[in-house]
Amino acid sequence: MSLLRRVLDTLYTAAGVLAACCLIAILSLIVIQMLARWTGEVFPGAPAYVAYFMAAASFLAFAHALNRGSHIRVSILLNAVGPRVRWVIETWCFAIGTAIGWYFVYYANRFVYWSWKFGDISQEQDKTLLWIPQSVMLAGGVILAIALTDNLIHLLLTGKHRIIRDTVDMQAE
Amino acid sequence: MEDVSIIILFLFVLFLLLGTGVWVGLALIGVAWVGMELFTTRPVGDVMLTTIWSASSSWTLAALPLFIWMGEILYRTRLSEDMFRGLAPWMARLPGGLVHTNIVGCTVFAAVSGSSAATLTTVGKMSIPELRKRNYPENMIIGTLAGAATLGLMIPPSLTLIVYGVTINESISKLFFAGILPGLVLASMFMAYVAISSFVSRQWNPDAEPAMTISEKIQNSRFLIPVILLITVVIGSMYLGFATATEAAAFGVIGGLILAASQGSLTWKTFSESLMGATRTSAMIALILAGAAFLSLSMGFTGLPRGLADLIAQMELTRFELLMVLLVFYIILGCFLDGISSVVLTMAVVEPMVREAGIDLIWFGIFIVVVVEMAQITPPIGFNLFVLQGMTNHEMSYIAKAAIPMFLIMVLMVFVLIAFPELATWLPDNIRSRPGG
Repeated sequence: MSLLRRVLDTLYTAAGVLAACCLIAILSLIVIQMLARWTGEVFPGAPAYVAYFMAAASFLAFAHALNRGSHIRVSILLNAVGPRVRWVIETWCFAIGTAIGWYFVYYANRFVYWSWKFGDISQEQDKTLLWIPQSVMLAGGVILAIALTDNLIHLLLTGKHRIIRDTVDMQAE
Repeated sequence: MEDVSIIILFLFVLFLLLGTGVWVGLALIGVAWVGMELFTTRPVGDVMLTTIWSASSSWTLAALPLFIWMGEILYRTRLSEDMFRGLAPWMARLPGGLVHTNIVGCTVFAAVSGSSAATLTTVGKMSIPELRKRNYPENMIIGTLAGAATLGLMIPPSLTLIVYGVTINESISKLFFAGILPGLVLASMFMAYVAISSFVSRQWNPDAEPAMTISEKIQNSRFLIPVILLITVVIGSMYLGFATATEAAAFGVIGGLILAASQGSLTWKTFSESLMGATRTSAMIALILAGAAFLSLSMGFTGLPRGLADLIAQMELTRFELLMVLLVFYIILGCFLDGISSVVLTMAVVEPMVREAGIDLIWFGIFIVVVVEMAQITPPIGFNLFVLQGMTNHEMSYIAKAAIPMFLIMVLMVFVLIAFPELATWLPDNIRSRPGG
């Protein structure tokens, strides 16, 4: 069990770090693209590549953000009720989340499969085979669904979920 | 709006999922799914994927993580100390004294950060203890900080404006420029309030500041020059049409890194913390935007937006009346939802209404930002109140009470915006914009 625990935690963190690398890639692509423009060169398809990395950065970080409590939720009700009711509501939330997560994965898989089957190509200058960036989205979706399931099972077995909210992490608003 | 009972069911699911605390992004996907299943026979899952993929893979959206990252980098520098030390000598002689450092400090930091919580902590970390030491009235210290920190949402770069721009497909650069003048006007209104209450209030007897010569003043504020320079580069590059919002964000990150490095506060730890923090926050917003894109598609099928727009048209509300209705609506919504969520959740319905009434959507972006800013300082979930509670250990009710004058000033700001729409529309009409901004 503890091995599985370690593997999962590593998976979430690794995906998060990979997402961070995507941000660095976005930054580099934009800088190269600007440098190219100023020197009169062209870097065809740069906006499209930035867009793919943007999607990758978001999807790969979803699970990591979930475990750190970054995803916003309305917590008025959760804070108002006692521990017993709270557990029921938390279970409901994770159950809904898990269902939506796997529903997304199921259709994302089909989406990528058909994209690969037909060899869909980007309409922009980059001419990328779309299944390549799209499968990163699928991977991120799978990891998020696993993280939601992981939390749900944990909640059912031990009465607690595994989300630890970081107080420094309140930059969003 | 043929089938009212189905609409009610749809809205019930929306409130149920959001209210029980399902994460906003996932809840929006769930609601959208229900809407699609109820109102169409189309293959829901496949439509969902196409929508979410095109909403998530976007060049414009890339401005979001970069601006968040820039704010995160500067948040971890010595900026907090420099800001107080640099601003204090110039504010000491004004009526209202050093309380103005709260407001001007927030305005300056708002120009490098799109978040009001980060603005609040950066400025407050230093100014709360320093102002207390000098016997300024506590409710003024707290109230002005809570109010002025909301400028982070209005003065560019603003995360709420990026989200708004992406949602309704308007130029981010234009929205940013629309925010500048109203932001400065709002800041001056806060400052005027401080000046007036320094004359009126009886609790107002702070310790006097030692006099300083001009060269000492400049000496003290030399650390602020790099930040001002960074702001000028980021905003200037957009204004001159030199860069799109996304590109300006890249300037901001690089400038922020250089600034942090030159101060010696750029370590591997601060670098990785700022990067991971930006990754998480941007993922959080991206999930909401993905859900919102699917929801707005689904809303279209429900006929709800069209129906409401027609209803409003039938009622022959004047523009002013419509705005008042929306003002009250968003203040109430803001009691339960954070700013970004309330913008994306409602735009699908509100956009056709606003277009129908002939209201400029750039202007409306600023209007909506002022209104959701108010929600930041109103209980029960005013976000700035929570942050201040953590920083000062005051009761929530005390902080909320101290912030009431600021809330009223913001309401006044809404009317100023309605009376002088040029405040928001003049600058964006005069920038040299690049295509794709």
